[in-house]
Amino acid sequence: MVEDSRPSWENPMQFVLACVSYAVGLGNVWRFPYLCQMHGGGGFLIPYLIMLVVEGLPLFYLELAIGQHMRQGSIGAWSAINPYMGGVGIASVVVSIFLTIYYNVINAWAFWYLFHSFQGTLPWAECPLSSNLTTYVPECEKSSSTDYFWYRETLNISSSIEDHGGIQMGQALCLVLSWMVVYLCVLRGTEATGKLSDLADPKAWIDAATQILFSLGLGCGSLIAFASYNHHNNNFEKQAIVVSLINSATSIFASLVTFSIYGFKATFNYESCLDRTQLLLINTFDLTEDSIKPDNLDDWISHLNASFPDKFATISSQIEGCDLESELDTAVEGTGLAFIVYSEAIKNMGLSQLWSVLYFSMLLMLGIGSMLGNVAAIITPLRDSAFLTRHFRKETLIGMMCLFCCLVGLSFTTRSGNYWFTIFNDYAATFSLLFIVLIEIITICYVYGLKKFEKDIELMIGHRPHWYWKITWSVVSPVLIIGLFIFYTADYIMGGTPTYQAWDSNLGKTVTKEYPPYAQAVIGLLLVTSMICVPLVALITFIKKKKEQAKESKIITTAT
Amino acid sequence: MLARVLLALSLVPALALALCQPDGQDAYKVRLSIKTALGANAYEWNESEQFLFRATLAFAMRKYTGQETFNVSSVIVCDETPRVSFWFVVTNPNDTATLIPKNAVEEAIRLSRNRINSAFLLSDKTLQFLGIPPTLAPPSQPSLPVWLIVFGVVMGIVTTGILALIISGFIQRKKKDIEDEDEEEKQEGIMENGISCETLEGKEGVNNGAYSHDEDRLTQL
Repeated sequence: MVEDSRPSWENPMQFVLACVSYAVGLGNVWRFPYLCQMHGGGGFLIPYLIMLVVEGLPLFYLELAIGQHMRQGSIGAWSAINPYMGGVGIASVVVSIFLTIYYNVINAWAFWYLFHSFQGTLPWAECPLSSNLTTYVPECEKSSSTDYFWYRETLNISSSIEDHGGIQMGQALCLVLSWMVVYLCVLRGTEATGKLSDLADPKAWIDAATQILFSLGLGCGSLIAFASYNHHNNNFEKQAIVVSLINSATSIFASLVTFSIYGFKATFNYESCLDRTQLLLINTFDLTEDSIKPDNLDDWISHLNASFPDKFATISSQIEGCDLESELDTAVEGTGLAFIVYSEAIKNMGLSQLWSVLYFSMLLMLGIGSMLGNVAAIITPLRDSAFLTRHFRKETLIGMMCLFCCLVGLSFTTRSGNYWFTIFNDYAATFSLLFIVLIEIITICYVYGLKKFEKDIELMIGHRPHWYWKITWSVVSPVLIIGLFIFYTADYIMGGTPTYQAWDSNLGKTVTKEYPPYAQAVIGLLLVTSMICVPLVALITFIKKKKEQAKESKIITTAT
Repeated sequence: MLARVLLALSLVPALALALCQPDGQDAYKVRLSIKTALGANAYEWNESEQFLFRATLAFAMRKYTGQETFNVSSVIVCDETPRVSFWFVVTNPNDTATLIPKNAVEEAIRLSRNRINSAFLLSDKTLQFLGIPPTLAPPSQPSLPVWLIVFGVVMGIVTTGILALIISGFIQRKKKDIEDEDEEEKQEGIMENGISCETLEGKEGVNNGAYSHDEDRLTQL
């Protein structure tokens, strides 16, 4: 039974809030500040804002227009635009499935940290004691208490991706809870938003362009899904601009906060390093306590090395060069930032439990909001399908989807789970989304026809789109995206074997390792599975049409 | 006689020095970080402070062994450095040529560690006996991890919510089905021969289709 009347948002504000909730997500807190830092701080804002105006806004507008006009999820919408292009919708759904599977793991981590905030002293504030109660655990001493809590107590991470380990019960429980919360929220209504942002190319403009693309959540089908519940005459033009601006403003605000924490952590680590080196020297050579100061540390080292070479040789392996620049350069990104750096900052604040609870609740809200968007991108097209709606009730369909994703997601709770998570985070939705967005824009402009699209928009909001939108849709954005594509591919090919950061428990820091062949195969699979839908569906439709034509011509020939 | 006494007396410190050797089998190295601990209120390390240290250690030995024969002279110190670190040994009060074994000294120090630290306004970290690790206060471990409790609460709320939504959806659907059925039933009412009794009570009567062939009287051409 297909629904005769499509459910809709109660008011336009609900739609806007859903889009904002989808677009503003963990990517704003993690990814954007890291990119800013990598590309020289404030200077990154210039390419970012330019790309927002020239690429992000037009594409956002485009997706909302499609959804609102076609009033269907991504698969139905694209099939309606052009039967050969139905694959775009399917590709979007595939990408959304990958996204949904790994993204909820972040919420599981947020839950874990949130639950651990209800303690007298935060567990990541102190190193635990070793078994004989005489020293701290060496892994914790070498790194830091927040690093230790993240890598050992939360993830129990193995030393490489090959080392699988078992499923971590705490993580698994939190993941199940996250999925139940998502299920609960999706059952309630049509809202959901999510956000992802992923990049690959180190060049600032490339990063800015891609950041905008993914930061706004384009290409996943979520925006089409949301807009499909709009009234036909909803003024999505204004809403597109509002949501994009809110999203960017949030990114910028979050980076301000993040930079202060970076600075704090770098300074703290640098000063601790200096203290450790100083202590080591005065203890080994029995010098007076305040003889070595940070400014004369290097002089002392060279002096002692020259005067007592044998004794110095015994401790030379323990001398770590302390450098503030290198501390500042080790920008932790992705999951590391949100959990390690912020928990580091929180533990040093007064009333740290309160801030901790507030912060992780905020992370959870962002994350769950993003999850709902991703789930909507999958559920909406599924429920548009008459076959599925006839045989399965809404609750069952959503439940089955959640269960499937949860079970697959459990693989991310194993000891090497975080490494697989990084693979998904870096590859599941980067290249593929670029491809999908490119196909979307070319389909609308050149296959469906820009004039026809203009007329549709005029019917909906009462006026034709400004020439600015038309130029960006037909020329600027496609050129930009093709450029991004080329750079991305070239970088991937020339970059050699892709590497990852593995945690070394003996050293207490991350080391670079290469991906084994089967991991690279998974990367390839992720990229290919979604993109191949487009040509595949086009081919299948072509073959079907040929068969129909052949049948018709047969009937005509037999009738005459 | 006097010469012998003098010789013996001069030998004692030499003997004492011979007993106290850095890296000796029964010797311990002590390291004090006074400036780190007290900052501006740091005191100068001098002979009197050294005397206090030896006295405190003698006290620790007395407390541990229960023998009140230990004295300041039983504790011998050597190899002092500007760091404020030195080595010390404890001689047996009954036989000054032998040393108290390392284990006994360690136990004695562990027993009175707090008192020794307080005498110098220092802590385990700033008054270090190398080789005797401080016993760090273990963090309080509740019987059931707190996070599991919070997890249980949230899980319970979410499960209740899901069940409530599913059941309410189910009930609504059942209600809808029953309402639909009710409407049908109302229409049926009491039937006889397919004609509702209520309509028969009306004055208009019912057109019996079996007898009305008006439309068929005239055949179609």
